[in-house]
Amino acid sequence: MSDDRAPRWRRYLGLVRRNVPADVDDELSFHIQSRVERNLALGMSPHEARRDAIARFGDVALVRSALVRHDEREQAAERRAEYVADFAQDLRIGWRAPRRTPAFTITAALTLALGIGANTAIFSVLDAVVLQPLPYAHPDRLVTLGRGSSGEYLALRDRLRTISDLAEWDATTDPVDDGRDALRMTGVAVTPNLLPLLGARPMLGRGFTPNDGAVGGGHVLLLSYVTWRREFGGARDVVGRTVRLEGLPYAIIGVMPPTFRYPDAGVQYWMPYVIDTRNTGLRWGVGGKTFVGRLAPNATLAQARREVRTAWPSLRTANPLWDPGPEYGRFATVTPLKADLVAASAPLLWMLFGATVLVLLIACVNVANLLLARATARERELAVRAALGGGRGRLVRQLVTEGLLLSALGAAVGVALAGVTVRALAGTVPAALPRGNMISVRGTALLFALAVTVATGIVFSVVPAIRATGVAARSSGSMLGRRGWGSRSHARVSGWLVGGEIALAVVLVAAALLLVRSFDALRSIAPGFDPAHVVAARISAPAATYAPGSARLASFYTDVLDRTRAMPGVESAALVNQLSLAEPVWAQAIRVEGQFENVKHTLPMVDHFQTVTPGYFAAMGIPVLRGRPFTDDDRAGQPLVAVVSQSVARRFWPNGDAIGRRIGYPFDSPWITVVGVVPDTKQDSLRDTSTTSIYMPWAQRTNMVSTELWLVTRTRVEPGSAGAAIRRIVHEIDRGVPVSDVRTMDDVVSRSVVGARFTAALVAVFALVALALGAVGIFGMMSYVVTERRHEMGLRMALGASANGIVKLIMGRALRLVAIGTVAGLACAIVAMQPLSHWLYGVSPTDPVTLAGVAILFGSVALLASYLPARRAARASPAAVMRNAAVGSGP
Amino acid sequence: MPRDKTGLLHGSLDLIVLRTLSVQAMHGYAITQHVARLTDGVLTADPGSLYPALERLKRNGWITAKWQQSPTGRRARYYAITRSGLKQLGRETNEFERFVDAMRRVLRAT
Repeated sequence: MSDDRAPRWRRYLGLVRRNVPADVDDELSFHIQSRVERNLALGMSPHEARRDAIARFGDVALVRSALVRHDEREQAAERRAEYVADFAQDLRIGWRAPRRTPAFTITAALTLALGIGANTAIFSVLDAVVLQPLPYAHPDRLVTLGRGSSGEYLALRDRLRTISDLAEWDATTDPVDDGRDALRMTGVAVTPNLLPLLGARPMLGRGFTPNDGAVGGGHVLLLSYVTWRREFGGARDVVGRTVRLEGLPYAIIGVMPPTFRYPDAGVQYWMPYVIDTRNTGLRWGVGGKTFVGRLAPNATLAQARREVRTAWPSLRTANPLWDPGPEYGRFATVTPLKADLVAASAPLLWMLFGATVLVLLIACVNVANLLLARATARERELAVRAALGGGRGRLVRQLVTEGLLLSALGAAVGVALAGVTVRALAGTVPAALPRGNMISVRGTALLFALAVTVATGIVFSVVPAIRATGVAARSSGSMLGRRGWGSRSHARVSGWLVGGEIALAVVLVAAALLLVRSFDALRSIAPGFDPAHVVAARISAPAATYAPGSARLASFYTDVLDRTRAMPGVESAALVNQLSLAEPVWAQAIRVEGQFENVKHTLPMVDHFQTVTPGYFAAMGIPVLRGRPFTDDDRAGQPLVAVVSQSVARRFWPNGDAIGRRIGYPFDSPWITVVGVVPDTKQDSLRDTSTTSIYMPWAQRTNMVSTELWLVTRTRVEPGSAGAAIRRIVHEIDRGVPVSDVRTMDDVVSRSVVGARFTAALVAVFALVALALGAVGIFGMMSYVVTERRHEMGLRMALGASANGIVKLIMGRALRLVAIGTVAGLACAIVAMQPLSHWLYGVSPTDPVTLAGVAILFGSVALLASYLPARRAARASPAAVMRNAAVGSGP
Repeated sequence: MPRDKTGLLHGSLDLIVLRTLSVQAMHGYAITQHVARLTDGVLTADPGSLYPALERLKRNGWITAKWQQSPTGRRARYYAITRSGLKQLGRETNEFERFVDAMRRVLRAT
């Protein structure tokens, strides 16, 4: 069929393809003309001959259009076949090319592997944590109403029409004794309807029944899959076994499947939440329970929001304890459960994803530059192929195919890389990511990697391909001639690419520097106590054995303290109910004598409230500024006393001494006298700006709910052996009391900023990669420029330019390029850093020192990366260069 | 009798074209002339059917097309039968003869 072509003259009109309509017209008009000629021979008049010929033919237009359509379809099929054949050929050639130049291939593939790998890794996490739906039944109908008390829960559950079912849960930690070990475990107390509401079922045993949630019931447990495997060896007969929780027997009724991790992956067991409707104080006075619901079948989120916004404030009068004030319930809302779960981690992950996209773009630019330089070397090959009839589009396609091969190679390495890093990543951030350890590279993430690979391959190869083939087409006429005027503009395109690359790298490096600096600032915040040489340990006395407020509990902890103080090297030891920076230190509403006395009205809150034993301030290294610390005389039956932080004193008694003033619990109870003032300390985090703290002697605490305390010990002994000694002491007294979280206070402090460190470190790694790629980019481009312009350099030197002058010339060029890129990058950075300010501490997103540092850094990189090529240019012997030029030996 | 719009028995146009081209390669107009002459005008290869039929045969690989100078010096598309076209001609001839034979027997039996 190859000879079924239009005549030569038509091809030269520039039509590569057959002109179908013209061919059909030719054929049909030939037919008619032949008949006309025959008619003329038969003696008809010219007019008659023509009329008869057309009449005999029938409907010309119909035949014509049928033939044209048919022919064109056939051609399209041919073109498709040709395209596939071309692609196969491109692949074959594309496969040969990289093997001819292994150094180029390895460099380019590794660069792409970094970009694609980083992207795939972060996307895997983003996908698993933020994008995938929750693994529950109809997850888009699940909502949360925020937090509140059980009283509010019961009222809302009965009142709301747009919510078909409402459950509440509360986090709990309890000492658990399975007969061999005493452990402190983390669990959740849930109303029995929570699991059916989420559509979750145990994989072993049964779920909770309504009876389990009734008063008198509730002594049953569901284990998490991980706990079942780790603590019970995955025994199938675990159902029916009894463990002691807070010293009371609980029956294990089932095991939840590994996919069920609500509300987070750290939950080890679920127990029924028993609401005692007779206990009004507990029902209405203790908030912090989370409400989870399912939208009614016909209700929308907006309707639910409207209903909750009116229903919740209407409970103001239902509270039997106090008047919660006119603002009560005003800000109640309904949030999709998923949005609520990922709210903390989503912005961070999007930010990291943005960083990896920058890395990928930089990698693309770098590879594009490499391709551009290589295209110069392949100019002859391309020119020959152009001369042999390969159209420009065909050549572009060839080069893009090579690009795709390259990015596929990079992707293979990159995805493998991502597989490894995702595992490491998932291991380092379980606390910050709700679905942390379900993450791996699979499914959507692989599709994403594929899409990225194809897009990458096209992005980085199209510009070089178009440029290279343009040059090839122009020079195909004189393909033996030396490289002409094309190279200068090659250098210009390359310059633009490197400039853009620098700009992108500047954004990343600026972000990384800001994050590192704010981590540094965070780390250097004084917590207000002295963490050095302090070992902390959590001791969880089971409530059934050691009843709250009992003499037995007091004597147990006194025993622990006495034995600890008797240890060699111990300077001081004390107990505290909630340890600063290790866990939330709860707020407390208080009365203040002469200012806020009416318990029926809204009372002021202090941010943190701790009960401590005498010696706590000494053990934690908190100086007492005025008054006195607690002593052993501040015990039950003695006058009630408290120590307040400076902010408390300043807030309530700005014009006088706080010592001797009186405060109280938010219910009718004896006044408590302030006996000392200490500095504010960081309680919830180093960034904590809520500074008001009140301390009470543990021995005088009346409404004691938890029997768990932290032991803090200031010791000169090595922390590891001190921790072991503390465990031994507690177990000697009672083997059934778990000791957990034994660590130094220094460790506690650094753990509290682990998230910030993780973010800073990850972005810093990306930035380093970007910086390295940028340096490689500058180096590559300047080497290319030097090679290209060595005739000019030779000429300049022959005309008397010094080697120094040449070096300056080259480096000046690199510097100018980097300066433009840096300025553009800094401008972008200033815009891009605004959303980043959430993660920054003590440094503004437009911090001039940081931005100047970035500029200096990139300037130095430019100088370093261009120095070698510049030296090479300056060392070239002018004579040799000129001789080469005269002979015209080409590249 | 089922006749299609060519006025020919259905499917017989392909047979006629293949048989005609088995004599020698010719252009579309020559085919119509050849058929008219052989059958004294009883059968005509109408251009409106002939050219689509030629395309169809070409697509099946039974004939090929080639632009050539006609004796009158004009550019004309010449069609030639291929090897597989000859085989197809043999098959269709057999089919047609069996059909005619059967028809004849039916007509005589009355």
